[in-house]
Amino acid sequence: MSTIYALALERSRTRILLLAVGFGLFELVVGLSYASVDQNAIRQLVDALPPALRALAGSADIASPTGYAGSGYLHPVALAIQGAVAISMAAAPAREAEDGTAELVLARPIPPARWLAAHGLAMATGLAIVVAGGFLGGLAAALTVDDLSPVDAAPLAGALIAGFLCFLAVGGVALLVSSLVRAGGRAIGWASAFLLISYALDYLAQVWSIAEPLGPLSIFHYLDPPAILGRGSIGIEDVIALGGLALATSLTALVLIQHRDLTP
Amino acid sequence: MFGVDHAIEAAALTRMYGPSAGVDRVDLTVPRGECFGFLGPNGAGKTTFIRLALGLIRATSGEVSVMGHDVHLDRMGALAQVGYLPGELGLYASLTGHRTLGALARLHPRPPVLREELCAALELDGYALGKRVREYSRGMKQKLGLVAALQHDPPLAILDEPTGGLDPVIQARLLGWLAARSRAGRTIFFSSHVLAEVEELCDHVAMIRSGRLLFVGRLGELRRSRVRSVEVTFSEPVDPARYAGEGVGTTKVEGAHHRFSLSGDPAPLLAALSRLPVADVAIERASLEDAFRDLYAT
Repeated sequence: MSTIYALALERSRTRILLLAVGFGLFELVVGLSYASVDQNAIRQLVDALPPALRALAGSADIASPTGYAGSGYLHPVALAIQGAVAISMAAAPAREAEDGTAELVLARPIPPARWLAAHGLAMATGLAIVVAGGFLGGLAAALTVDDLSPVDAAPLAGALIAGFLCFLAVGGVALLVSSLVRAGGRAIGWASAFLLISYALDYLAQVWSIAEPLGPLSIFHYLDPPAILGRGSIGIEDVIALGGLALATSLTALVLIQHRDLTP
Repeated sequence: MFGVDHAIEAAALTRMYGPSAGVDRVDLTVPRGECFGFLGPNGAGKTTFIRLALGLIRATSGEVSVMGHDVHLDRMGALAQVGYLPGELGLYASLTGHRTLGALARLHPRPPVLREELCAALELDGYALGKRVREYSRGMKQKLGLVAALQHDPPLAILDEPTGGLDPVIQARLLGWLAARSRAGRTIFFSSHVLAEVEELCDHVAMIRSGRLLFVGRLGELRRSRVRSVEVTFSEPVDPARYAGEGVGTTKVEGAHHRFSLSGDPAPLLAALSRLPVADVAIERASLEDAFRDLYAT
């Protein structure tokens, strides 16, 4: 299992490192930009925005230091970076089934569930490295910009852990699809669709009262970094919901792969 | 119950793809220590049979065992005895050849004792192994796949079209190497659509078409089963009934010249002709290629 895990990480190392650096730089830039803004002007601007646009920044006051720093982790760029690493690495088993490397590996005495679990662990590791990049970027900004001094390392880590769990759940869904299909493109497509629908559902639930009851069905309902930075800790319900989805989808994938054809 | 002295044993093995059968009620026994040829045109079901034997795909019905292990119940036990070269070889393009062999060796419980010998035989030197697989030619990839499959001296080697992409010199060297391993007691299950290479290496063959086995036996039996054309010229008119017998087909008579088909052993016909006034006789040579074609034409 360690060999497959190492191989999966080795094959994705450039992508992981680039995304980690990119995420870190993005959060650093977001944080540094706070020094140049007028908090009152932002507040007036946000108040003037329609609810549909205000919903994009989450529930917190983005004019506050914690709200502003937290909104950087809800920005579509941040979400896309984390989604890219989770989905692409969790779709690797389907890609390997397609290009024939899975046949080469699974004709050796390796249980398919162990092979899939190794890919899942590699995905979690890659995601953790990328999230750590985002954490370091945000922390560097908080230490550099005086106005961001209310942003402490511990709540920042909590916000990043929430993001990690959220995209671990996305990776779990991608792993589940990977156990069912033998084409990398299809696995990436289905997992991306899940991510986009989930995002749209959360957005709609915030701006449209009729859709509000559907909000808890979205993973983004449980991801609110500005709120975590504001109150200083991550909500246990959010941890259970996101971690539970990641665990449930991954375990289902491990069971399903035992009963599937491994090659065409 | 499967026999422990068989390398592969399939009983009524079937795999359906929708309404069509990839492998259809195949009964096949491959004895241990043999070099066994598995012949068939492209799309005949060779790869499907191999994937069923390795448990990579699931049988619709029937059973298969590998080295005495039921593949459905003890797949890991079976695979620990096997070295496999896929017909459609997929390799990690970003790894070097050396890293590929090392990683694949770690996924097998048997140590890679034959790696250096194989690399030398297939002319995979240190420079080639240091390059990334994405820089390899098709032949180089095939060599790497062969070393990966055989480096741990598996008791059963399952090779799906192993000579594809290899130049004639390396092909001959590989066949010689496999023959030596077979003499050392290893089982070689060799799938191919090229009769000549199977003829060179294997004593026993199975032929498959449209998922069904057409023939299982020795190559000599296949050659003897071939329907040949016979032409006899007698020095005086002769009634065909005087030499008619088992295997002799309908005779076309043109004066003293008789033409007919013959299947099976020619000895009874030759004995009958020896008692007749034969001026000339010509029996077409039983070519294995023709026997192969005859089987597929039926």
